[in-house]
Amino acid sequence: MSYSKEDLRDLYNGTLPWGQVKEIMSNPKDDDRFDKYIEILQESVLWEERILMPLGEHIFVVEKDGERITKCDCGHEFGDWRQNWKLNALIYVRDDRVKLEEIYPGIRCPDPDICEVREYYCPGCGALLKVESVPVGHPPLFEILPDIDVFYREWLGTPLKHEKEFKDRTYEVTREWGKET
Amino acid sequence: MVLRKSPQTLKEMVDASQRAYDETGCYAGIMDLEAKESDPLKYELFHSRILSSLISGRETTRMISASPFVREVAELCIGIYTPEGDNIAQSTGIQVHIATMGEVIKWMINNEYETKVGIADGDLFCSNDNSIAGLHPADVYDILPIFWKDELVAWVCTVIMEIDIGSVNPPCMAVPNVERATDGIRICAEKIGSRDEIRRDFEIRIERTIGMYQTFLLDRKGAVAANIRVREETKNLIGEFGLDYFRQTTRELIEDERRTQLARIKQRMVPGRYRNVTAVELYLKDQPVSWLPGKVDTVRLMPVEMTVEPSGTLSIDFDGTGEWGWHSMNATESGVRGGLSIGLVQSMCYDGRANLGSLLPCQLNVPIDTVLNPSRVLELPTANIWTSTIQVFNHWLTLIGSAFYLRGYREEVFGFRTSFGFQASGYNQHGMKGAFLPVAIAGYIGGCARGVADGVDMGAAYYTPEPDIGNFEVWEMFFPNLDLYRRIDPFSVGHGRFRSGASMNGIWTPHLSQFLMVSSAMGGGAVRLLDNTALFGGYPSGRGCTMSLSQTNIKETVEAGNPLVLDIGHPAHLEFPKHVEGQLTVHDKIVIPAEVHEGDLLITITPSGSGLGDPLDRRPESVLPDLENGFTTEEITRSIYGIEVEFNEPTEKWEIDEMTTTINREDKRKQRLARGVPMRQWWGNARQRIMEKEIDPLLKDMYQSSMKMSANYTQEYRDFWALPDEFVF
Repeated sequence: MSYSKEDLRDLYNGTLPWGQVKEIMSNPKDDDRFDKYIEILQESVLWEERILMPLGEHIFVVEKDGERITKCDCGHEFGDWRQNWKLNALIYVRDDRVKLEEIYPGIRCPDPDICEVREYYCPGCGALLKVESVPVGHPPLFEILPDIDVFYREWLGTPLKHEKEFKDRTYEVTREWGKET
Repeated sequence: MVLRKSPQTLKEMVDASQRAYDETGCYAGIMDLEAKESDPLKYELFHSRILSSLISGRETTRMISASPFVREVAELCIGIYTPEGDNIAQSTGIQVHIATMGEVIKWMINNEYETKVGIADGDLFCSNDNSIAGLHPADVYDILPIFWKDELVAWVCTVIMEIDIGSVNPPCMAVPNVERATDGIRICAEKIGSRDEIRRDFEIRIERTIGMYQTFLLDRKGAVAANIRVREETKNLIGEFGLDYFRQTTRELIEDERRTQLARIKQRMVPGRYRNVTAVELYLKDQPVSWLPGKVDTVRLMPVEMTVEPSGTLSIDFDGTGEWGWHSMNATESGVRGGLSIGLVQSMCYDGRANLGSLLPCQLNVPIDTVLNPSRVLELPTANIWTSTIQVFNHWLTLIGSAFYLRGYREEVFGFRTSFGFQASGYNQHGMKGAFLPVAIAGYIGGCARGVADGVDMGAAYYTPEPDIGNFEVWEMFFPNLDLYRRIDPFSVGHGRFRSGASMNGIWTPHLSQFLMVSSAMGGGAVRLLDNTALFGGYPSGRGCTMSLSQTNIKETVEAGNPLVLDIGHPAHLEFPKHVEGQLTVHDKIVIPAEVHEGDLLITITPSGSGLGDPLDRRPESVLPDLENGFTTEEITRSIYGIEVEFNEPTEKWEIDEMTTTINREDKRKQRLARGVPMRQWWGNARQRIMEKEIDPLLKDMYQSSMKMSANYTQEYRDFWALPDEFVF
């Protein structure tokens, strides 16, 4: 089972006819998907660094100078992929009724006393990378931390050159911020 | 009384099977799939015969039952189990119960039913005690052992959700309960019949305990008939294939599925850590309660972390969840496993082979004494176990969806939100007292955006792959109500490059009831908060709620022959109050029942799932069918998506202004860059507020509760905000 890159690109863009989408959903999975996926993503950006893993619609973990960083398709770099990329994003918080009702008018509006809706933007292009709806005071979530070396080494059988420790390094940044405060 | 004459007791079989699994890592110690490998066609035929017997058994129940839950919405499911209580195969339907029904069987075995209660051919067992195993008490399990000669060779179980289980408050998912006894009847893995017949004394108990006893008893008969049908077909199978083949192959099917599940995970996901968080809310502080410790408002945090391990197993951890309370939202570890069970069927194991093997590669950590796993469950109400369970598993689906997305299988990304509405009790149009829960609302709800398409419009429910509104005229035969309005609501949608499915709202009025009272039906836990299920730049949809318009002039309007205008319209400028006189109340949720009368309007504002991706990346052409079909509005199209459209009067078609759309979108991106602040700056301000504890007291209590339950959560909270080691709320 295998699909052309053109069909997969259309699938991701939402332009593949529904009959084919349904067929892809129902069929056994195509084992070469990840390779083609990465090729499609790589062809969609203008920069050269190798994409190791997507983290969303616009951001990827890429290999750069022996390091791994999170990078937007516009070229903006967010730093070590093991640190929550949100620490280097722009944030806009909908924390009152006026701001919330721009999205959730009238009876659809949550209660800003306990709920806030956070929007994270790429500082390079203004893409909306993530919307987070959490109780006020909750730390921003580090939703996805892929174990890239295990994936490439043990699951794909193609180990990467510069293996890195699998570790959440977000708090190293916030502790530093704390010292500066 | 030991009627089974096997060399081993059932308890010994359970222990031996577990030992073999622990030693080998393979279910029941099965290292080789002999039946499958020696004759795969025979193996597949055997499985399909089992599956077809379960599905036909389910349809049998639908023909016998009188309940609209069963006939209209098919709130039932059937599974077949090994003698040890391990699921072999399951029918379609509410598959959330498949694992938990097996847990009831294991509980019976571990509680020495074989010797102290007796398990014989034709014995009928029944259970709705979710502190043994299960979801909410409204889900009633009917269990039948299958004997071949003198040997117990399997069990068959049917679950049906009941409209009325005799609870104090309306009706079967009672919201305001603060004590276990108020949840209604408890049938604790009880033998209710023998020789395939329900005992008369059990029927008498039901007749004298439950208002709508007819539907309850007809459902039992429907379930028993289904179980008997499956039993007889199983005996035919054993006759054809032989007992040894049956014993071996039923267990092989479980081990085969375990291996397949591991293979699915390694094929479709990426190892690593995935996280989300949600909360449940219930407000009882200002409500009358029967047990004063329950007279508090409660918000409890429920973090969920999934680790896709290098081995391909899934570890799902609820560490950081807040404490249990005297309210109906307490879950159980069994219920959480039920949520996982249906989640796996919906997301990965949808090929008809789901069974216990689907769950074996998944380890759950549900910390004791949290709202998801209280140790004092025998004292607590659990009528809304679903509230916390479905809430947390809706959020778990974002984790599994993210793992699919990373691997490139975006077509597998999906998610749900849960329905919202009213439940009622009182007198029906025939003067009989009973309870009413129109679960047709399950079919109102739109699902989350998929990874390659918009979400499913209406009809996306987590707990069953086949949500159905059913025939409302049939619902009106059972409930004293008139359904007045249902319409797709474009404001229900969660926006994104792919939008969520749209939901429907509904309005009904009581009809021909001498007395009726309503409270909210709590599908999910979020009331004042929003679900956090949006992915990659999509928005969660807005909140759901209920409203009522009382003391209306509807009767006079109808008598005068004037039209009834009941459109809900824009959520900030409601339409129907302009046309119908009355007193409007917007409820977060009606906890304590309120009396309602003929002519009052009961309004359900249904939430939807979430969007996926930046709305400014949505293909402009996608909004054209949405505009034509009422799934979006010109206002939303412009303000959220930046798409400029115009209605062409001569052609009666919407058209896109591409130039203005491009400019609009560029402006919107610039506005984001202008209003967004660097995270470091926001962090400093937010940290200051936390240091000064300037947050709502409810949230202080919520965080403190999570910190009390989890050292890890406490440490991470302090680490993120760089708080002193001694910081508490």
